[in-house]
Amino acid sequence: MDTIRNFCIIAHIDHGKSTLADRLIQRCGGVHDRDFRDQILDSMDIERERGITIKSNTITLPYEAQDGKTYSLNLIDTPGHVDFSHEVRRSLMSCEGALLLIDASQGVEAQTMANLYLALEYDLEIIPVINKIDLPSADVERVREEIDSELGLDPFEVVLCSAKTGVGIDDVLEAVVQKLPAPVGDPNAPTKALLFDAQYDIYRGVVMLVRVREGSLRKGQELFMMHSKKRYTVEELGHLLLERVAGKELGTGTVGYIIAGVKSVQDIAIGDTITDFDQPASEPLPGYKEAKPVVFSSMYPVSSDDYEDLVKGLDKLHLNDASLTYEKDSSAALGFGFRCGFLGLLHLEVVQERLEREHGLSLLLSAPSVRYEIVLKTGEEVAIDNPSLLPDPTEIETSAEPYIKAAVMMPERYIGTVMELCRERRGENTAFTYLTPGRVELTSEMPLAEVLFDFYDRLKTVTQGYGSFDYDMLDYRITDLVKVDILVNQERVDALSQLVHRDKARARALHYCERLEETIPRQQFKIPIQGVIGGTVIARTTINAFRKDVTAKCYGGDISRKRKLIEKQKEGKKRMKMVGSVEIPQEAFLAVLKSDAGK
Amino acid sequence: MPSLSTEANRQSDVPLAGLYIHVPFCSAICPYCDFAVLVGGHEQRRHFVDSLLLEIALYADLELSGLGPVCFDTIYLGGGTPSMLTPDDLGRIFDALRRTVDLTADAKISLEANPEDVTSASLQAWRRLGVATLSLGVQSFDGDELRVLGRRHSPEDAIRSIKQAVAAGFDSVSVDLIFGLPDQDTSTLRRNLEQAVALAPDHISSYELEIHPRTTFGKQHARGELHELPEGQQAELFLLTHRVLAEAGYPAYEVSNFARHPRYRSQHNQKYWRHVPYVGLGPSAHSFDGQQRWWNERHLAKWQRQIEAGHRPVAGRERLSTQDLALETLMLSLRTVAGLDLSSFEARFDFDLVAHNRALVEQLDREGLLRLHDNLLAPTLEGFAVADGLAAGFSLQGLGRQAVRSTSRSIDKRLDRQV
Ligand SMILES: Nc1nc2c(ncn2[C@@H]2O[C@H](COP(=O)(O)OP(=O)(O)OP(=O)(O)O)[C@@H](O)[C@H]2O)c(=O)[nH]1
Ligand code: SF4
Ligand SMILES: [Mg+2]
Repeated sequence: MDTIRNFCIIAHIDHGKSTLADRLIQRCGGVHDRDFRDQILDSMDIERERGITIKSNTITLPYEAQDGKTYSLNLIDTPGHVDFSHEVRRSLMSCEGALLLIDASQGVEAQTMANLYLALEYDLEIIPVINKIDLPSADVERVREEIDSELGLDPFEVVLCSAKTGVGIDDVLEAVVQKLPAPVGDPNAPTKALLFDAQYDIYRGVVMLVRVREGSLRKGQELFMMHSKKRYTVEELGHLLLERVAGKELGTGTVGYIIAGVKSVQDIAIGDTITDFDQPASEPLPGYKEAKPVVFSSMYPVSSDDYEDLVKGLDKLHLNDASLTYEKDSSAALGFGFRCGFLGLLHLEVVQERLEREHGLSLLLSAPSVRYEIVLKTGEEVAIDNPSLLPDPTEIETSAEPYIKAAVMMPERYIGTVMELCRERRGENTAFTYLTPGRVELTSEMPLAEVLFDFYDRLKTVTQGYGSFDYDMLDYRITDLVKVDILVNQERVDALSQLVHRDKARARALHYCERLEETIPRQQFKIPIQGVIGGTVIARTTINAFRKDVTAKCYGGDISRKRKLIEKQKEGKKRMKMVGSVEIPQEAFLAVLKSDAGK
Repeated sequence: MPSLSTEANRQSDVPLAGLYIHVPFCSAICPYCDFAVLVGGHEQRRHFVDSLLLEIALYADLELSGLGPVCFDTIYLGGGTPSMLTPDDLGRIFDALRRTVDLTADAKISLEANPEDVTSASLQAWRRLGVATLSLGVQSFDGDELRVLGRRHSPEDAIRSIKQAVAAGFDSVSVDLIFGLPDQDTSTLRRNLEQAVALAPDHISSYELEIHPRTTFGKQHARGELHELPEGQQAELFLLTHRVLAEAGYPAYEVSNFARHPRYRSQHNQKYWRHVPYVGLGPSAHSFDGQQRWWNERHLAKWQRQIEAGHRPVAGRERLSTQDLALETLMLSLRTVAGLDLSSFEARFDFDLVAHNRALVEQLDREGLLRLHDNLLAPTLEGFAVADGLAAGFSLQGLGRQAVRSTSRSIDKRLDRQV
């Protein structure tokens, strides 16, 4: 057991976690050169395309250390984006230590801090690693100083490396074996293993990733899930290299996988304790709370014929992503679809993109909404995340909306503009502290709804890229909620309805009207676009009609050419939705979600 | 006047088709022209006519003339500038047609001519050859505009040619005009129209200038040296054209075509709009048999090489699906005053267009773009101005599950195998 090291790599987005994982894998001979590709653990198309990690990835590597012993390293690469911080949590649960990566030119950022705190919550041993020291803009001394004063970590423990060039990789590995503790646990105690992640394999069903705390897991063993009270038999178990490698046993302290005839990730609970059915452990391990969706939006297929494919697509994604929720929904304008819950807007985008890419779907999304808590005059309480379900205003006693605690780290000179931004976003109790001379951390209690729309982009803009952002859910607070409807050519497009704070209603409605004006193609008639609250128009724009749209001549007999032009015009409409007699393109639904600031 | 008809094999139930001949020569190439044209000398023109005769013969070889399911009642010589062919060459063409294909007794010949080619001698020759309709490429009566358009005639040529043609005793004389030049305003357009009307032709075509990418204008446009008239002005000029001509007694019967009386409407062009079969000869010419459309090689030399090797000079073809035919019917009908006959559309395509587009039709009617009455869906004048968009707006979803009730048989089944 003392040659086992379980650790994960955590960092702010893009600080090079996956690239460092690449180097470690290569250094330990975990991959043949011919099979290697950058960010090899990021296996989903969408991860590769966007260059981000969405799901944590686990790999076991043999490492021959300078002390002559061969260690077994279980490495977990984690995502950096705040939407996926639950992935980081899960990974931390199974480890004794973490490499906290810091970009040598960016320095400490908001998720550096947030992830460090998470790791400390789980009592992990932390090794700070300054990465990207090859960059011309690298400033190792400054970053070392930040690690000391902002993170409170020992600046002399810092390991320097470049995941790109490979410099310092051996130092990282030596630090892992020398500074991180080996796992502890009684090999002879009843089996106690932590279920920390799960994957779905189309051939084998659910593959559970486990960390054995005490005792061991064996092929053929009868298992009992202490939380969900389910019983399974181990069909296969083993270690995770780039592929799964089956074995006979997983010993105390190890990380590996089990296949035990589980059909869907819904059937199990991450954080559950796995024990032996006949000789159960007396106490389960401390539990883990699944991340709950905070953003809701309805998805509709552009073509109603694709509804069945959407069902299949969601079912399939759900197998692998328990945080995605969905239930049937229907819209007068868009037909049948699903009301889905997401962990954040990036999660929403990822789900949409995967459905479109992997299932050939073309989707329309309604305006994302948070979940409101409404108290009715009757005293009844309801939770509303779908504008069309909002009770009549006369029946509502109070409405409350979720607040977050936002933390923004930035150089001092941006404090003014960021405070202004927070004020615009209805931030309360905004305050800041100096982390080091010249660097501040600002905190503000803000409605979650206000950060859903382009807050992150705006922050990047006003801080010229130097500001980083993180948030935690806080509580629900009383708010003045109104429902804004959008009428296109006098028809209400229910998918564009939204719940907003009264003070924001006009601006938001106008934003929607303007975006629709830009994206709905001109037609043969004038199209009024209005934002209304109840019967009151609060914003309006108009799309002018075509006045001239006819080619002069049907060239002799060349009717085909002309038909093809019209077909092209029609083709453009395939990704549109007919609302009344107006065709609304898919982009229009997307455009309204985009930044006000992009103009 | 000598008749062109062979009459012998005329059957009363065969469809009356149109025959188009593309003459690809011009004395110079206009900067806006997108047709298959070139400046050719006498020799090249003669050689072209030789090849054309061979192409006609190819149709004969394919048993088209004898038993062909079609009989032609219109022959249209367009281009290019057919008036550049000598009467002698034109005579050779008509002789060959008479010998080879079925023509009705009263088959009408139309000839496009440029004003500078119009003389009393040429007019007499064309009359003698049986030309019924003379279509004059006038384009404008304004000297500056003619220069911009790169035309080779003067306003005086234009006026003289029309006067002479009208006096020469053709069945009808048509004048082609262009509007929408980059700096045109309503007053220059109005003057042009009034001048045309004053000369009392039977038919007027008024086409909007279109800027095509491969033309001189297109290149100038891409470089930012030439600007297109803004849409609002285009619309204004378009509507003005229609109003002025209607007031002067030339109501439109199609987006760009106006006639003094329905009998002067172009019989030949209407075939294109009604899915009536037609055969096109010469480079780039298109043919249609009710189901298939095919087109000739665009380049003169390629076209010629094919013919001389004994092959049909066909460059491409397409078989129209029911959807294609329906869309074309819709788009072509909405360009005509007559509009779309909904019952025949439904009978032909087994599709109730209005039922499938109820909200749209109501909206378009409210907006004054379309009128629905007596089972006809007809564009208004404002509707004409946006006819392409109208056609594209209709949903044809669900159409074409049943087979079309074909209006005509294939002209030449062997064509499929040949190419
Ligand atoms: N110059 C330089 N670039 C690096 C280094 N390490 C990573 N990068 C680059 O930084 C970018 C982000 O690297 P990733 O490894 O994808 O970062 P990550 O932390 O896994 O990102 P997320 O998973 O999205 O949080 C990529 O373009 C890498 O090529 C380094 O040491 N030097
Ligand atoms: S005369 Fe007509 S066909 Fe000839 S170049 Fe000019 S526009 Fe083209
Ligand atoms: Mg990554």
